[in-house]
Amino acid sequence: MIEVKNVTKKYGSTVAVDNISFDVKDGEVVGFLGPNGAGKSTTMNMITGFIEPTSGQIIVNGNDISKKQKKAKKDIGYMPENVPLYYELTAKEFITYMAELKMVKRNVRKQEVQEVIKEVGLEEVQNKLIRNLSRGYKQRVSMAGALIGNPDVIILDEPTVGLDPKQITEIRNLIKKLGQKHTVILSTHILSEVSQICERVIIINKGKIIAIDTPENLEKATKEKNSISITVEDPKDNMQNLKEKIKEIETIEFKRDNNDGTKQYIVTSSSDVDLRKKLFEVLPKEEIVIFELKKTETTLEDAFIKLIDKAKENDGIEKMQKEEVDNTQENDQIKNNVEEKEEKK
Amino acid sequence: MWAVFKKELKTYFLSPIGYITIGVFMLMYSIFFYLTTISYGSVYLGDLYYATARYGLLLMIPLLTMRMFSEERKNGTEQLLLTSPRSVSSIVLGKFFAAVTIILITILFSIVYAIIISFFGDVTIPTLIVTMIGFLLLAMAAVSIGMLASSITENQIISAILTIGILVAPWFLIDMSEIFSSIDLIDKFLGFATGTISIADVISLLSITVMCILITIILIKRRKTVK
Repeated sequence: MIEVKNVTKKYGSTVAVDNISFDVKDGEVVGFLGPNGAGKSTTMNMITGFIEPTSGQIIVNGNDISKKQKKAKKDIGYMPENVPLYYELTAKEFITYMAELKMVKRNVRKQEVQEVIKEVGLEEVQNKLIRNLSRGYKQRVSMAGALIGNPDVIILDEPTVGLDPKQITEIRNLIKKLGQKHTVILSTHILSEVSQICERVIIINKGKIIAIDTPENLEKATKEKNSISITVEDPKDNMQNLKEKIKEIETIEFKRDNNDGTKQYIVTSSSDVDLRKKLFEVLPKEEIVIFELKKTETTLEDAFIKLIDKAKENDGIEKMQKEEVDNTQENDQIKNNVEEKEEKK
Repeated sequence: MWAVFKKELKTYFLSPIGYITIGVFMLMYSIFFYLTTISYGSVYLGDLYYATARYGLLLMIPLLTMRMFSEERKNGTEQLLLTSPRSVSSIVLGKFFAAVTIILITILFSIVYAIIISFFGDVTIPTLIVTMIGFLLLAMAAVSIGMLASSITENQIISAILTIGILVAPWFLIDMSEIFSSIDLIDKFLGFATGTISIADVISLLSITVMCILITIILIKRRKTVK
């Protein structure tokens, strides 16, 4: 269990992480989502004890990371961003070194190293120098370093960056497997990754948490309209008049002509109405043949963009309000100055 | 400490640095062996160690210490070290003793010269041992200074130049004022080279070592909050 309480990190006057709080329960897979420079890595570095928060508290399995460092760090496996490795060591030597650093007992060390090598799929290259490994394998070595010692909590900072699609699926499956036994926190800016692997998502922007929820709920919450994609054969062009027949329709948008006599439209309604049944009833009467009818899902991507935009808007409003306040203050000052001058006269 | 020590020592021999350091040290020993004993027909080994110490400090210690923390910081591997349950002190000490071990190896190799001399005259073993102990203490102080320099920058060149500067500057500063002799390491080795142990020298070399190690530990711990 990880508890992050009112954590702030400042670099000089810039605030990298601004008073964030959340917790991660045992066995949960949590995704940390945000645009570049949102404070994801900073937060992860604080949870792992690499950097100290300016204020606030981080508790890992009941141990405060800045006070009971040894105990807390023992429970964490960390795969940092940019996969730092010792290139002059072989994969096996590196993992063994990590095992020693993590205080894995001598009598089980060899066995555990072999188990981890097997788990991440490094058997074939275990005796090669890390320098000579491909990016995908380097990533796995780094992940092995995080897994060794069987820590309760595994923290992965952008684990799939720079991999090819096949490697990405492999790493994702590995993370899913890890999620069965460990608490996993991973950061990423790839959204499909999160909706596939994570049970909960924390969206962070400019150092502030703007949403914590399940991927499904986030998608639902940010959904404003139901939209349906429909492909039809419509020789008499009756689609344009459909609005009059079905009152619930808000917009009908022509999307494209498929050049085989069929056309694609996007039909929207408010989110509490499902148009599909009505469309099936009405369209045949209008001599429109349905080829395809599909409800388009809002993706996490949409949710993410909406949330970020919303945060920006709020920022803008705050700024405007501030400026207004500044302006009124300035006006007051000018007034005072004028009054003073007049008094002097 | 042991884990870091083992890995560091291994790394010295996986890269050329370990071999080069030992090799060049042996070359220096050999050259000064010829210059200080053979060419004078002398059996006194103090000058050999003094000359090697002087130029070894200048050239080899910075080479040995420049990568200690700079490289870790540049490659990001310090993240692995500092997020492990090991304490900062054990990491620093592990690295420190690994570097000192390289010097210790060269000292042990240098016994060869004493063996050669013993064919031509008497080697005073106690004197030799005192000189070697002094050499080791001197190397420890120099390594700790190099390590400190390495912990403040991620650039290995800067770290090496800084170390050379700190080690060599007192040689010339002494001419300006006697005060600087207190920070001149080689000056403290002079006694050992003649076979005399002075408590003052031992304490000052050891205290420089301990001080630099402590500052290194403090700096690395402190970086956590400002980083």
